Amino acid sequence: MSDAALPARRPFVARHPSVLIFLALLGIFTIGVTLLSEAFGIGLVSTSFVKTLGKTLCLCLVALAMDLVWGYCGILSLGHMAFFGIGGYAIGMWLMYARTEIIVVESLASAALPPTPQEVSDAIANQIFGVVGASEFPPIWAVADSLLLQLAAVVLVPGLLALVFGWLAFRSRVTGVYLSILTQAMTLALSLYLFQNDSGLRGNNGLSGLQNLPGLDDVPQSIVSLWFFWASALALGLGYVLCTWVVSGKFGSVIRAIRDDESRVRFLGYPVEAYKLAIFTLTAVIAGIAGALYYPQAGIINPAEIAPIASIYLAVWVAIGGRGRLYGAVIGAAFVSLVSTWFTGGGAPDVNLGFATIQWVDWWTVLLGLSFVLVTLFAPKGIGGLFDLITERRTPERHGADLGPDAGSLREKEAET
Amino acid sequence: MLLAVPGGVASSHAQEARAPIQLLLQEHGEIIAKSSRRTIGPAIDALARSGLPQAQLVLEKWRAKEMWRDKETGLFVFAEEIDRRTIRIFDFADGREIAEVADKGFKQLKPNSGIRGLIGAALVQFQLSDPDPANRATALDAIERDAEPSHLTALRGAIESEGDAGLRARKARLERLLTIRFAEDPAERIAAIEGFSGDLGVDVRAALNPLLARALDVSTSRPSGPDIAAVLEPGSAALSRAEAHALLVDKGLAVPRVTPAQKREALIANIADGQVGGVQLAELDSEAARDLAYAALARAGLAPPSAAPGDIDAALAAHVFFERFVGAPPEVARAAADVLAGIETQVAINQFIDLVLDAVSLGSIYFLAAIGLAITFGVMRVINMAHGEFIMMGAYTGFVVQQIVPDYTLSIILAIPLAFAVTFGAGVALERLVIRWLYHRPLETLLATFGVSIALQQIAKNIFGTQARPLTAPGWLDGSLIVNDIVSISYIRIAIFVLALLFLALFLLVMNRTRLGLEVRAVTQNPRMAASMGINPDRINMLTFGFGSGIAGIAGVAIGLYAKVTSEMGADYIVQSFMTVVVGGVGNIWGTLLGASMVGVLQKGIEWFNPSNTLAAQTYMILFVILFIQFRPRGIIALKGRAAEA
Repeated sequence: MSDAALPARRPFVARHPSVLIFLALLGIFTIGVTLLSEAFGIGLVSTSFVKTLGKTLCLCLVALAMDLVWGYCGILSLGHMAFFGIGGYAIGMWLMYARTEIIVVESLASAALPPTPQEVSDAIANQIFGVVGASEFPPIWAVADSLLLQLAAVVLVPGLLALVFGWLAFRSRVTGVYLSILTQAMTLALSLYLFQNDSGLRGNNGLSGLQNLPGLDDVPQSIVSLWFFWASALALGLGYVLCTWVVSGKFGSVIRAIRDDESRVRFLGYPVEAYKLAIFTLTAVIAGIAGALYYPQAGIINPAEIAPIASIYLAVWVAIGGRGRLYGAVIGAAFVSLVSTWFTGGGAPDVNLGFATIQWVDWWTVLLGLSFVLVTLFAPKGIGGLFDLITERRTPERHGADLGPDAGSLREKEAET
Repeated sequence: MLLAVPGGVASSHAQEARAPIQLLLQEHGEIIAKSSRRTIGPAIDALARSGLPQAQLVLEKWRAKEMWRDKETGLFVFAEEIDRRTIRIFDFADGREIAEVADKGFKQLKPNSGIRGLIGAALVQFQLSDPDPANRATALDAIERDAEPSHLTALRGAIESEGDAGLRARKARLERLLTIRFAEDPAERIAAIEGFSGDLGVDVRAALNPLLARALDVSTSRPSGPDIAAVLEPGSAALSRAEAHALLVDKGLAVPRVTPAQKREALIANIADGQVGGVQLAELDSEAARDLAYAALARAGLAPPSAAPGDIDAALAAHVFFERFVGAPPEVARAAADVLAGIETQVAINQFIDLVLDAVSLGSIYFLAAIGLAITFGVMRVINMAHGEFIMMGAYTGFVVQQIVPDYTLSIILAIPLAFAVTFGAGVALERLVIRWLYHRPLETLLATFGVSIALQQIAKNIFGTQARPLTAPGWLDGSLIVNDIVSISYIRIAIFVLALLFLALFLLVMNRTRLGLEVRAVTQNPRMAASMGINPDRINMLTFGFGSGIAGIAGVAIGLYAKVTSEMGADYIVQSFMTVVVGGVGNIWGTLLGASMVGVLQKGIEWFNPSNTLAAQTYMILFVILFIQFRPRGIIALKGRAAEA
């Protein structure tokens, strides 16, 4: 078949109308929040809620990564929140170092003698590591004074870890549930390691005070939170475009094929391991970036954030939102995390059953767990599946049956969109 | 009430003033009456060493504040108070009652607690020969706690007369220990030391270690003499250069090196006109500039000179550093060192045995936690993330039973089948309601059961609260089996080990010897073929899953006895359990056993390198398992052929 026989390639956006819709909605949302915010608008949305929304956007971004690796490539990674956390730690180290440096230099300026570089560094180390009974910088902080290098670490450390781990795992053909357990073990090992005081990252105290940007003490939090909100929205938008681009085209077809039948793809001559490794590493990098944007808004990061349960929740979001479609992941993460905030924040009214009162703060997790079971059993396509009801009404004729996620889900439709 | 006899008549009481014990008391009458902790020593010593049969009585009465002194004659008696003003006095010499008198003429001796302590120590030697074995044992305890040189003689005198074999052995051992510490004759001490060769007792090491005390010293020439323990090289592990230099400074043999902090203070103290030692203040932001300014100060005599690195090198090179024995004469110390080295080897061997026991016991806990998974995951290939919560349910069942049945033994016996029943039911319900719809979607089984897991965990938290609940072991499981001072293992751990073995046997029995096992194996290998043979796969799957879950419930009771019962206890074991099964090889119970042993040995082994840090041990253990799976992706015992593809 010659090239002429193929239909002319339409522009990227035209082939993926969902990207335009998504970007438009995200833009409207961002502008709306800005106009309602305390800093630049009428003050209807409090600063803390702007932060919550900003954090939710970051969670959407990491959910996007999870969808890419799980929904499209079939690798149920239970370790992506580890990459998210590493990104947070990497940026947190710079934030903490730079801010402490400013404080220390200020306090030393009033000393009788101008401080030597060694004295400054010792004083910073004392400030940061006093809580774990150390007063020297561990080697891991070697480049903490450089924003550029720490930003590079946000991308490189999760990327390298994913590369090494993925290479080891995929090379020995660890697949399916074994891989899930292995990634979970990786997360557990990392969080246990970070829990130690001599890990060099302040043990279970974690890094704190990250919401204060060094040198910008005069800027009120209401404005800083909006900056991060915009940055998160921008990252999510770019991430969405990138993910759409990755899953479209030949590369996307191959990874979906790997999800549906790995051996067959291998027999067709594709280097399955390389594809999986590429997707695994790429999503780890995206997760790292999302974490680097999340934790300055959260203000604190500690090893509990990396515990295996966090990564499982990530899978829960994607599953509830609907995996195998990018907007599903975004919807799932936003929906579940916002509803969770509502329930655990005491927003939901208590239900009086006569013999007992259901307080949602206590029972929300039970509801989440059970609804998760129900979604898995009865709505494998998640919330995103609702959109199928609309599109199916419009284009009733479909090629082939609905094959379901485990047996080649949606492959024809996805190839077209 | 008796008529009080006037004090003047007291001397007329028939009391033997010339009895030896009374003479001795009179000799020290003044200091006894003075009753000061600082001066009382000779009086107590004299009494204790007197060899008089009444000495013990005197000391006991004195300590009990029952000794009185006649104000007029100065004679000592002991007395019991009849009422507030009258006492009945007794003679120390023969214990005979003398009279009932008014207490006006007598002064009660009230030793303070310090003196009572001294009296108690002196009494020990009498108690060593006390007729009551309990008192003799108490006296030995006292000596073990706080030995004194005088005890050695007393102990030697009390061994021969000892009738109780156990106490006699204790006395003999204590005598040898005290010989090591207090004997005068080095040969005697060395003999006692060598007698303890290979003894693992903590007390032996406690007696020997002080003998090896060394003091660091320095001289310009190479020292000689028997008491030189070792010559040290500065910069070695035993003696850092800084320590060596500090010693020289202490002895006035070298100039101290001024620390940066001292230097800084000296500079600050000498700021004049915005400069120090001719250097502008603003330029003092580096160590080099500060050194320069300080050197100028030192030249001007405004600060003590600081040693340059070259000076330190020269000073260290010019002296020889050595250690001498100060804890004991050199030959005794050397003998102690030899024996101690032998003991250390023994200790190391025994610690290794203890480590292996620990590892086996940890391994059996992992095995218990994992054996249910070996059935649900290993045989049925169902990833049940709620497995940990079944363990928790079993433990809470045990807790509830203990609330109702107070007898611990009975409640445990009741709890085990009940826990099995509860978790069997939960497992069957989970299989019927959730898992059977997902047999072809293993990843989604993982997620759905995870949903069940967080729901169950939260429900347990809501019902039982977040604090840990105790599951108390029956009395006969308290304590440990003590082999020697190093090797010991608690009975609960032994019970868990036995339980693990029982489960292994049960598993093998059910799978290989029963109709159910046959059908389970058939359904696992080929459900359709099994169905066509008349086996109902649905029923078998349900029963198998229930069986695995039930075992998790029993494991929960066992683990609850060993650890605390919390809503998160299952989550603590779930990852390790899965790793145990995966490492061992899915679908093979022997593999699970090997996997559990490996995980247990690894974790304890790594902990041994870094005992203070169990977190690090877990981290490295998991990393090792991840790497291990790279090389044996199908575990230690890998299934071969078609079964492996299932």
